[in-house]
Amino acid sequence: MEKISQSVVKKDHAPKMSGRSIYVCDIDKHGILCGKMLRSKYAKAKLLAVHLPELPDGYYYVDRNDVPGDNNVNIVMDDTPIYARETVEYIGEPIGMVCGPDESVCENILSKIQIDYEELEPMLDLRKADEAFFNYEYGKGDLDKAFSEADKVYEEEFGTGYQDQTYLETQGMMAEPEEGGRMFVHGSMQCAYYVHGAVMRALGCGPAGVHVHQDVTGGGFGGKEAFPSILGCQVAVAAKKTGKAVRCVFGRREDLEFTSKRHPSLCTYKAAVKDGKVTAMDIDVKFNAGAYTTLSAVVLQRGIICADGVYNIENLHVHGRALKTNTTPCGAYRGFGAPQTFFAVEMMMEHIAKDLGEDTLEFKERHLVKQGDSTSTSGVYHFPVPIPAMINEVDKVCNLRAKHKEYAKPQTGRYRKGIGISMHFHGAGFTGSGERDFIKAVARLHKYKDGTVEILAANGEIGQGLRTTFPKIVAHELNLPLEKVFYDHPDTSRVPDSGPTVASRSLMTVGELLRRAAIKLRTEWEDGKDQMVEERYTEPDFMIPFYLDKFQGDAYPTYAWGVQAIEVEVDTYTGISTILGAYASFDVGTPMDYNIVMGQMEGGFLQGIGYSSIEYMDYDAKGRIRNNSFSDYLIPTSVDVPNMKCQLHVEKYPFGPYGAKGAGELPLVGAPGAYVGAVEQALGGKIRLNHAPFTAEDTIKVLTKEDA
Amino acid sequence: MVNGYAPANLQEALEIRRTRKVVPYAGGTDLMVKGTKDAVYLFLGKLPELIEIRSDDQYIRIGAAVTYTQALASDLVPALMKEAISRIAAPAIRNAGTFGGNLGNGSAKADSVLIDYVADAKLRLTSVRGERIVDVAKFYLGRKKLDLADDELITEILLPKTGLENYYYKKVGGRNALAISRVSFAGVILMDGDKIARCSVGFGAVADTVLRFPELEAQLIGKTLPEAKKRKEELLRQYSEKLALTKGRVSAEYRKAVCMNLLRDFLTEKGI
Amino acid sequence: METIQFNLNDKAVQYDGSATDRLLDALRDTFCCTSVKCGCKEGECGACSVLLDGKLVNSCCVAMGAVQDSSIVTLEGYRETERFAVLDKAFAEISAVQCGFCIPGMVLASESILAANSHPTEEDIRVGISGNLCRCTGYNAIVTAIMKAAKEGNGLW
Repeated sequence: MEKISQSVVKKDHAPKMSGRSIYVCDIDKHGILCGKMLRSKYAKAKLLAVHLPELPDGYYYVDRNDVPGDNNVNIVMDDTPIYARETVEYIGEPIGMVCGPDESVCENILSKIQIDYEELEPMLDLRKADEAFFNYEYGKGDLDKAFSEADKVYEEEFGTGYQDQTYLETQGMMAEPEEGGRMFVHGSMQCAYYVHGAVMRALGCGPAGVHVHQDVTGGGFGGKEAFPSILGCQVAVAAKKTGKAVRCVFGRREDLEFTSKRHPSLCTYKAAVKDGKVTAMDIDVKFNAGAYTTLSAVVLQRGIICADGVYNIENLHVHGRALKTNTTPCGAYRGFGAPQTFFAVEMMMEHIAKDLGEDTLEFKERHLVKQGDSTSTSGVYHFPVPIPAMINEVDKVCNLRAKHKEYAKPQTGRYRKGIGISMHFHGAGFTGSGERDFIKAVARLHKYKDGTVEILAANGEIGQGLRTTFPKIVAHELNLPLEKVFYDHPDTSRVPDSGPTVASRSLMTVGELLRRAAIKLRTEWEDGKDQMVEERYTEPDFMIPFYLDKFQGDAYPTYAWGVQAIEVEVDTYTGISTILGAYASFDVGTPMDYNIVMGQMEGGFLQGIGYSSIEYMDYDAKGRIRNNSFSDYLIPTSVDVPNMKCQLHVEKYPFGPYGAKGAGELPLVGAPGAYVGAVEQALGGKIRLNHAPFTAEDTIKVLTKEDA
Repeated sequence: MVNGYAPANLQEALEIRRTRKVVPYAGGTDLMVKGTKDAVYLFLGKLPELIEIRSDDQYIRIGAAVTYTQALASDLVPALMKEAISRIAAPAIRNAGTFGGNLGNGSAKADSVLIDYVADAKLRLTSVRGERIVDVAKFYLGRKKLDLADDELITEILLPKTGLENYYYKKVGGRNALAISRVSFAGVILMDGDKIARCSVGFGAVADTVLRFPELEAQLIGKTLPEAKKRKEELLRQYSEKLALTKGRVSAEYRKAVCMNLLRDFLTEKGI
Repeated sequence: METIQFNLNDKAVQYDGSATDRLLDALRDTFCCTSVKCGCKEGECGACSVLLDGKLVNSCCVAMGAVQDSSIVTLEGYRETERFAVLDKAFAEISAVQCGFCIPGMVLASESILAANSHPTEEDIRVGISGNLCRCTGYNAIVTAIMKAAKEGNGLW
């Protein structure tokens, strides 16, 4: 194992373990106003009037009329309002905020507010949705020729549902007017500078008018990438109006119903097969964006770029749309569009193979991309594709190949077994040239006179260990003990913008900047002197430029690779599938800390398993999310999964620190294909499954149909 | 205390129950989730009369404030009851949740109540006026409606001492812990020589109350196993007709299919 | 006696609010025990777990009137113990702490497991923490850490 990979005690272990860490909800409430949201009860309506009761002393109502700047939250585009405009576009859309010292008094005021609506017809059915926020198309090769020459053409539709991030700490933000007029905004977030930019526009002030600090954050997973910008603007406007500190922390039900989630999807795959090989795919991807655009453009981009999976499909056409529905706007969640399309392509390949009478794993293996092949967007896989070796690694651990053949035989009886395999990648870093053209990351090292070094960057610790791994890199390069290097929670008044904590980019991209900065500091080091060094992002030379308008070029500099196998036993009497084993091999390059990276692999894997099996969430005919409590939205407990067996396969990425690649999202991406594939194998016969989550209820439905 | 009473014994508790509008609070795990505003709680969790598990010549007697964890540690509690309560929620809930609370909540999803039904349990209902013993099946009048007077408290659950050894139990929830039952099933057979002396089958979580059909069970009484086997398909057909279920958190079809699968499996397992 | 008297982390304290108030809220707001976290307020996540008369309970589901004359232990008290030190070392070595929000509940659940069984199997541990949701770790590391603490417990449990 590389020296850098050797696990250390995490730098934030002690305060978290002892319960001393202060999250935004833990701050003493005296002197702070509690903010409670007034929300739309209709999925689509004209907002005619809001009638307030008499407000007691010290209680305020805040809405769009109180926004000093633009009533828009900048999240890529500007259509998300801070507080609702003339219409409301989804159930739960924030119309205003009641603030005051006592939470129950605020709730009482809320219950007395009368709203005049003119109900309009909402769009709730993704199949009927006709307003596309984003519409992309790309391809390569000669699709028509391939289809006309095909031996057989397959067509199938696949669907995936919502997934809620269910970070244990709900959304929470606080805004406090500072002496001197600057607005201090802090709370639970991933991207301090995103919040900074959004709040600036809300308050109509320059960068110096807003100060953002990330508090200890209890999980994010993408759910706190953009949403805190909205909540941050809402509390900032309230703090501006009231002149007091305002804090808004969501309850769990509120968080489950009204914050951003994974986009539900409907994907139609058409495949041409000639001489036993898939020669072409024509793919249509529909993502349910919800009521506002937020991050849908970028989620859709990644989803459609991954649409042909790990397979070398020479003739390809992909059409993707992010469609508006009058529901909670969807956003970032670990995987960011890829889990949806990877699920679809894995099941499509699975079904084609079965139709051809082939072992599905062997069929998939014959189509794998290799180093040097062209990507879906006519870029190149510049670096090794270790999937074949990784399949063998997983096989060694769980007897994958033998079991896969064994369980493919007809099974009778109450309990049936299956083992599903999925292969996938995650494009490391921001899609295309976003890193170079938009983010333009800057990171600094501040060496103090006493020889300690502080890392100045904007990437947030959300549990993934940046407060440990960033210092490890710098300490390693400077040959300092780890105690002498530290990294605090991002504070925009002190750190440069090194870009957001998203896209599995922090370690790979910013970590590399810090490594170079450390090298620079090492060469310039002067004992006893206060020094600052800075590094700016430069795009690696080898990249083929990516053009977003045509979706051509290297969408990502490199890829993290994954192979996952999940073994299940299905109880045909109850529909329940028990996971007998979950195995994986992940290539995320050199781990910056073995335990930390394994923790990410295991955590992501289980989130993916939950997404595939029990995390069912949907809205009703009125557009209201029904699974709005922890007893109705089910995530895995410790007894829902056995000990997951993950291993790391290291292919060093030369442009990541010591060979590291983006890691955070990869382990979730492949789980649905493996889980649903396993259930499908267990059920046997002609049963073909095409949606995730695939629940016990779904299983009984399929079995009942088979029996009929 | 404000908005609450912590009586020292059952008599005090019954006096308060008679004279004030209070909500009986045993473990609190259902009440506190409901969070009834302006409620006044009558705290029963520490009452000496309610926290014992006893055995007399007729019954196993479980105090209404006995927790599931306490019951799991007791040699007196029948294995079938332990199967059911060991699957309730998670350790922290089992440490606080009680038999009386499970009944008092009035839900057909109550895991211990299914066993009460199948065991033909009786409930002791006590007030200052005296007490009455009620069959659990008669205690439930409909969806969340109980035969419990405003001045009464559930004080004891009376289970038969024997006859529950040969059982079949399955809880079907959305996951393996912290799961509210979506379908729960319990079946018990008692043989007298080579003849079936008793057969009780209960379906939980699929209707407004736990379901039992004694008139269908009666068709097996007095029969040998081979005789009963001959009646099996007809019996299943009759059960299927009786189980006219509606949609809950899961579909009616799912509820029905799982109930029938488990019923058939129970009969088969027991040699019928 | 209008106030509710109980023992909190080895100190006699009293509570003047309503007997129907949640123990969770009293601990956090009145007694400043912010290690006790609110994850759902419905007894479905375990983030608010405390030890009530030595038993693990979800403090969001306990009314103040029920803690009269009882003893409550939160992480603020437990972290001073030798047993905590063993758990601390094990969790640190396994890097079982990620975002930290589930951890106070997990620590008390660990104590609850080991107090009942000083040599638990993996199954025992998984059941013991089955009421504590964690979204970050996938539970592997936490289970391993508790096993390690049991092994290195040195007769403390």
